[in-house]
Amino acid sequence: MLLVEDEPVVLAALKKYFTGEGFDVDCARELEEAEALIATTYYAVVIADLRLSGTYAVEGLTIARFIRHYSQGTRVIILTAHTAPAIQQSARAFGAEAFLPKPTPLAEIASTIDRLMGAAS
Amino acid sequence: MTRHTLLHDILAPGGLSILFQPIFEIVDGEPLLFALEALARGPKGSNVECANVLFEYVRRKGKETEVDRACIARAVSAAAGVPGAPPISINVHASTLERDANFTGFLTETCNANGMDVSRVILEIVEQQRFRDERSFFAALGALRNLGVRIALDDIGIGYSSHRMLIEVRPELFKIDRYFVAGSAENEYSRAAIESITLLAQRLGGRVVAEGIESLSDFETVTSLGIDLVQGYYFARPSFPTSFGAPSPLFQPSAAH
Repeated sequence: MLLVEDEPVVLAALKKYFTGEGFDVDCARELEEAEALIATTYYAVVIADLRLSGTYAVEGLTIARFIRHYSQGTRVIILTAHTAPAIQQSARAFGAEAFLPKPTPLAEIASTIDRLMGAAS
Repeated sequence: MTRHTLLHDILAPGGLSILFQPIFEIVDGEPLLFALEALARGPKGSNVECANVLFEYVRRKGKETEVDRACIARAVSAAAGVPGAPPISINVHASTLERDANFTGFLTETCNANGMDVSRVILEIVEQQRFRDERSFFAALGALRNLGVRIALDDIGIGYSSHRMLIEVRPELFKIDRYFVAGSAENEYSRAAIESITLLAQRLGGRVVAEGIESLSDFETVTSLGIDLVQGYYFARPSFPTSFGAPSPLFQPSAAH
């Protein structure tokens, strides 16, 4: 699993939880760092924050599109505090399978992963 | 305010570390140190400690020139004091030679500052992509060769290397990628590719380095195909610059006869 999140506290909490759930977890805080990892490593699941730079850029969508190009089998979940329908539509169009608002309980993220992994198998 | 990124950590003092892996020349069945390849690693404990991730990241940031310069500075500094003053093979992006107008001056100054003869440098060109300014690239190659720097092309057979690039650069060293070398004893198609590259190198006046030799059978295969420059875990893993020249205990010189 790859977690992509620029907020260290959130990233640490996600990492701790999913490591405890038995995932082998890598973390990235930048778009290019995430892309470099995805280009060199296969991940079953990538959970990415929509916005990584603190600007209005939507790096999470860039990551979703990158994954669809490089790694068809990877499931993509976008987390965001910005739940505008237009962005959700873009996320689906770019290849994200799930779009979850922040905060979403960690157990709910885990069950979304289970559902996506089940659908993939 | 600029956000702190991994790039800052990479370029900070101590951000990059350099390991060296020997390239051996097989003479009368015995491995003699031919050169050391400098291999960069990113900050310890980070995702970019791994070289593949490091350079993917750097290319996506568009910072090849800055990081290539930093790697070269670290490699020359680390190599300057290596006993026996062997040649040092250092990776550089083709785009750096194309876009860094003062690269030759930088390399010369870096070598001078470390008391190292610039003619010890072999530049391994990686990630050759379509040029924006071909003339600048070839002008840089010419200037480097005038200093006595040798040119190697890396990853031959995969990636962006092409026959056109081989003909136009005419490298002194053709580095055949491990994809073809590892397991070549059992793969006639890999052997055919190695033979083809070796023939081309001979015709173009270069020598072939077989990368990624991991077993006796790999080694015997490439030497049977006329290759006498070898590199890989079978001989030596990358290590910090302490002592070089002794191949790994795995290597059995008698096997080369």
